[in-house]
Amino acid sequence: MKSTWDRRTFIKLTASASGALVAGVCLQSCTSGTVPATAHEFSPLIKIDTKGWVTLIAKNPEIGQGIKTSLPMILAEELGADWDKVKVIQGDFDKAYEEQWAGGSYAIILNWDMMRTAAAKVRHVLLQAASKKMNIRVSELTTSKGKVLHSESGESLPFEKLLLEASKLPLPETVEFKPTDSFEIIGKNTPQVDLDQLVSGGTKFSIDIKLPGMLYATVLKNPVFDGGAGDYDDTRTRSVNGVVDVIELNNSDYGGRLIAPNSPNFVNGIAVLAKSTWAAFKGAQVLDVVWDNADARKENTAEIFERFQLQLNDTTIERKDGDLSRAKRNADSNFEAMYQVPFLAHIPMEPMNCTVDFRDDLCEVWAPTQNPKALQEGLIKLFGLQPEQIKIHLPRIGGAFGRRYYVDYAMDAAILSKKVQKPVKLIWTREEDIRHDWYRPASIQKMAASLDKEGRVTGWQHVLANASRKTCLGREGRPAGTEIDKYEFPAGFVPDLQFEYGHVLSDVPLGQWRSVGHSAVAFAVHSFLDELAILSKMDPMDYFLEFLGPARMVPVVDDYAFDAKRLISVVEQVRRNSNWDVPLPKGQGRGFAASKHSGSFVAEVVTVSVDANENITILRVDAVVDCGIVINPTGAKAQVEGGILEGLSAALYGEITVKNGVAEQSNFHDYKWIRMDEAPEIHVEFITNNLPPRGLGEPPLPPAAPALTNAIFAATGKRIRKLPIL
Amino acid sequence: MPSYTLTVNAEKRTVSVDSDTPLLWVLRDHLGLTGTKYGCGRGICGNCTVHYQGNAIRSCVLPITSVLEGNIVTIEGLSENENHPVQQAWMELDVPQCGYCQSGQIMATVDLLSKIKNPTDADINTAMQGVLCRCGTYSRIRKAIHRAASIQDK
Repeated sequence: MKSTWDRRTFIKLTASASGALVAGVCLQSCTSGTVPATAHEFSPLIKIDTKGWVTLIAKNPEIGQGIKTSLPMILAEELGADWDKVKVIQGDFDKAYEEQWAGGSYAIILNWDMMRTAAAKVRHVLLQAASKKMNIRVSELTTSKGKVLHSESGESLPFEKLLLEASKLPLPETVEFKPTDSFEIIGKNTPQVDLDQLVSGGTKFSIDIKLPGMLYATVLKNPVFDGGAGDYDDTRTRSVNGVVDVIELNNSDYGGRLIAPNSPNFVNGIAVLAKSTWAAFKGAQVLDVVWDNADARKENTAEIFERFQLQLNDTTIERKDGDLSRAKRNADSNFEAMYQVPFLAHIPMEPMNCTVDFRDDLCEVWAPTQNPKALQEGLIKLFGLQPEQIKIHLPRIGGAFGRRYYVDYAMDAAILSKKVQKPVKLIWTREEDIRHDWYRPASIQKMAASLDKEGRVTGWQHVLANASRKTCLGREGRPAGTEIDKYEFPAGFVPDLQFEYGHVLSDVPLGQWRSVGHSAVAFAVHSFLDELAILSKMDPMDYFLEFLGPARMVPVVDDYAFDAKRLISVVEQVRRNSNWDVPLPKGQGRGFAASKHSGSFVAEVVTVSVDANENITILRVDAVVDCGIVINPTGAKAQVEGGILEGLSAALYGEITVKNGVAEQSNFHDYKWIRMDEAPEIHVEFITNNLPPRGLGEPPLPPAAPALTNAIFAATGKRIRKLPIL
Repeated sequence: MPSYTLTVNAEKRTVSVDSDTPLLWVLRDHLGLTGTKYGCGRGICGNCTVHYQGNAIRSCVLPITSVLEGNIVTIEGLSENENHPVQQAWMELDVPQCGYCQSGQIMATVDLLSKIKNPTDADINTAMQGVLCRCGTYSRIRKAIHRAASIQDK
């Protein structure tokens, strides 16, 4: 193994030395001229030094969701640390940290107990050490602000005074968690840990990495998703000052376009390597290339939607409760509506990039990835490496939104570095990012309801047809899953109910996009409920509450039940916060939607004005959220603000169209998103309770689009069933 | 390759680059000032905003030859210890989410406040609509601009 592995080896040595103090480990707290602190690593995540500083590892990728602050907050809380004497360090990808990924709003859900357990074990040995020193029973001691406390006598001992004793004690197998009413850190507004670096340009994102001897690269991909290799003449490219090499990236050399499920969508391309980014970009611009697209399907959006439309009549039943045909027969009236949503790109502000040093069969990667495990698996598959030969660093990431669940750009960089036996930083241009995304699946959805004479829903049918992200890139076969789940709302709330899925095959690359399938499904469901309310001449919020019925647990599937009470309470609160019952002037309207996602309940009211020229202004958004315990209110509120703005941006503008197998959009001039002048005031309130914390990255997004289109209907009487609006 | 001397954060720096090299890549690749970000390469997203001769410019579309006459200020040159009022306000309000666009947002704000001491919401809309934030931090940016305006002379 080569010398760059030294740090890894060092960490392993210190870990194996547990039980003794590790001498001379200088943490970031030491400055030159002071006596170095010595530290003990109690667990892979927690280190305490002789000056009382607690070092915590932030193990998950930070994509802007605040996880680098919130997971360490949970550790610090359970440990009883003083947050002002905590240092947070981003962890590399390492099996010692177990799960390390960002997706599905799962990080807090998965790590809540895990973080508390890790810290409670360390607290336990600190308490035991203090008990011995103070001659007081453990049961009478607590930890707080970096000390062990005996509240009766007021005696205390700081952690650093207990280090030697505590480091000799074995960590317990089982632990008890701190009661939630004694929280000192959780629930307090805690500014994010990188704040000073973020406001001064000091943060090193992956795109900012520079290694000695590194080459800069970019890649020109075949614009056709399923296109072949390019026939090229690189004379002009090689004549650009600073261009060093031109290398083909052909998927046929690496096992084909789809290497594994959720693995790179390997589009054929040609890379230009240079001594600077600009030289690489210029070299790519002047590359003469003719792509072989003879076998490409050359799809068009209109034709794709026609296939969705046809597939609505040829479906599989994903859920069947009661008897829908009976409901239809016995109904006072039946009502149907069709909704359509487009393909969406992710456009994180930091374009796709990756830096790789792949020499001598050792592959070191600096990757903006939500999914380092998929990156590791991709490298193993492509190059036959062992996990020990791969080291993945996780720098802070400039936005992800689901795009960086996939690791195609990292594979490009690894291939190039291995080929040239030099470190390579690959940057995709914005154009490559938008044309070679894994788009949010477009869909057509048919909603049908049977109503009794009071307008109550007695039957519900939801049919969704699209190309699924679960078989993306396929030309044959069934999907591994569908884009409508059997636990979708309102399963359990209507006696005669049916969900159906029509599966279409397409070559448009599809993937996870913040809130995944829910972003499309919630638009149809909550637009339709609004339409049913209007049809029944009822206030949409009253209608929704009546639809939910009494506060109770509603069985949905297996042991999963839907707590209607929590949804009702966020709706009732948003009614008050938004002045829902106060009439608005002509030309203005309020729209409402409320849903559950990743265990969290969110109700939103959007207030709009629409002028005579149909210009839409979003005046205000009110959101009420029940996500259980809120770890960091300032960060949590940011997630709600961001999720809502993303939902509104996509509803207004978001659309990728495809022509002859090529995405027609390429940069921010034709892929528009909300800007400062259109951003509404967003008022967020959290319901306070002591329930386990649930996901928050995604849940605020799905209600935003239907709340907006329902508001436009309230203002104008115009129903929008097809997104985007503009 | 020709050699150029430019003034960045009040320091003379000399680089050898092609004459069409945008200032962005000079800062990032040649001078190690990576706080200025690449977002679109076409002057649309404003993530690359820096100051030249006291005005906010898009460094991704301005070639080095057009910025040789005056001082260039990047996010790194705004203050010694993050104590510029705009940085202070940004930290008070915990503005960033992913953080990638924030250098551009801060540089655009400093430019705005140098021209309008107490901007209205409409002034903020005009000055800031050129800087795209994908995470949706706009409401905090707006609050932080008002806050910075109120603390700038203290």
